[in-house]
Amino acid sequence: MASRFDVVQDAESRDTYYLNMGPQHPSTHGVLRLKLHLDGETILSVDPVIGYGHRAHEKMAENRDYLQFLPNPSRVDYISGMIYNIGYCQAIERAMGIEVPERAEYIRVIANELNRISSHLLWLGTFLLDLGAFTPFLYAFDDREKILDILDRVTGSRLTYCYGRFGGVTLDVDDLFLQQTAEFCTHFKTRFALYEELVIDNVIFQERTVGVGVFEPDLIQKYGVSGPCLRAMGQANDVRKDEPYGIYDRFDFDIPTQMAGDCFVRSLVRMDEMRQSVRIVEQAVKDIPDGPFIAPKVPKRIRPAEGEYHFCVESARGNFGIYIVSDGSDIPFRLKMRTPSFANMATMPDVMKGTLLSDAVAILGSIDIVVPEIDR
Amino acid sequence: MAFVKDILDGTKTLLTGMKVTLNNFRKPSITSKYPIEKIEMSEAFRNVIVLIEKDDIQSHDCIGCKACERVCPSFCIDVDGERPEGMRRMRATEFKVDFALCSDCGLCLDVCPTDTLGYSKIHDETGYNRSDFVYDLLDPWRDAEGPTVERLRKLEEEQAAAKKARTVKKAAAKKAAAKKAETETSKETTEETPTNKNDAENNDA
Repeated sequence: MASRFDVVQDAESRDTYYLNMGPQHPSTHGVLRLKLHLDGETILSVDPVIGYGHRAHEKMAENRDYLQFLPNPSRVDYISGMIYNIGYCQAIERAMGIEVPERAEYIRVIANELNRISSHLLWLGTFLLDLGAFTPFLYAFDDREKILDILDRVTGSRLTYCYGRFGGVTLDVDDLFLQQTAEFCTHFKTRFALYEELVIDNVIFQERTVGVGVFEPDLIQKYGVSGPCLRAMGQANDVRKDEPYGIYDRFDFDIPTQMAGDCFVRSLVRMDEMRQSVRIVEQAVKDIPDGPFIAPKVPKRIRPAEGEYHFCVESARGNFGIYIVSDGSDIPFRLKMRTPSFANMATMPDVMKGTLLSDAVAILGSIDIVVPEIDR
Repeated sequence: MAFVKDILDGTKTLLTGMKVTLNNFRKPSITSKYPIEKIEMSEAFRNVIVLIEKDDIQSHDCIGCKACERVCPSFCIDVDGERPEGMRRMRATEFKVDFALCSDCGLCLDVCPTDTLGYSKIHDETGYNRSDFVYDLLDPWRDAEGPTVERLRKLEEEQAAAKKARTVKKAAAKKAAAKKAETETSKETTEETPTNKNDAENNDA
């Protein structure tokens, strides 16, 4: 392995060198190591080294029953843990044919979308930290804190939620929760102007992001790019619309898309996505019916019939798929999680090739990876 | 010329940022002075589990069934129970939780058959080593365990006596009804009131 500033001679006998970005680097948001092959400041090739945060979630699933795996999915992606936790519940419900009460479905949608906003806010803050802007981070975290407080009061956790249960949710929401959520939506809609003024219209931000890290269309099929990265390439792809799970087909929302595929439009797509999430939350808060929050009759032993099951949800980062192979017993024979960060990060060697070292930080920040999700 | 324009644009952006920052000085502070002012924990707050007191027995109702121990994904619960002499109901003799392993999933609360598990409101525990987070949940109940068992035994005896009385009454009523029916069939007369009375007694039992 090349040491930090090891000078090697390539075929053209130019002085190129290898540089380690990470595993401990502020802009990798976790322990990801990028082995950069540099010529001066230009990146010749990138070799992402993953696995530092590997916790064998998939193997753990093979050693415990379906219920006991419940705390794990939210630890896979701890920033939008609610979506993963509830997504796993929905996968099992689909496999077992468990009916979910109306109220629980609405609670799930509200919780999911609030979590999506909080995830995008965290991305906004940290992405701009990577680019060297400190102030927007504080505003983003101010809003994020409000969401965490709202969710914390009902779910009992701030980050690694274990709120979903097979057939519903753990605890019912009260009127105060709905009121707080509605208030937050009203407040948050006024904040978009601030973010536009402070971030999107900022000249330095535009200089750092416009035309940087352009995703070529062939990457979509090559690596399975999904989520905001895909939507920034002009593809209106969203699991919530394409194959609506839960009750997402009842809500009126758009899929924001942009054409350019660079870091700047990825930011725009995420900003628009937050707007759409607010729209969904507002509709859900308005329509939420009374009733039970968990199905009255959930089978005690979760034993999906022998076979293969696949279920995917739209997480804050893209298409999160759960693939279960059941042998008819209590314990999954195999549980595979298709995580969007892994696919999006796999494009890095192609995207970063030929860019500058300082752009590498911007590109890595703009695809919004969560390293434990890559490693699992 | 482009150079000058860049400088002007940059300055404008800078001033916009400054404006946003300065506007925030006019807003009230939202910091809570944590160690001085304690924060109220919500109903859903999750921390180490505790045994909840049940009104009818004035103690926890853990029967040491090990349901929580079996379901725990982190294997952090250690329960044991035994049957006090002459009683039908079990009592927990050991309930240890290693909170250092707990992931606050709440599955133990869901499976508890007597609903005697709940979350504590502790939110500021600290320790020097991992063994400081091993909680003995029975600790607050141990002193009163003797009287509690006595009370439970008495309660159980009362219940058993009541049940026995009911069964005796029921059997007697049945016998009476059978006798009445016999006499009725032999006499072929209808006496509705006593039969109904017997039926009512049966229903009560």
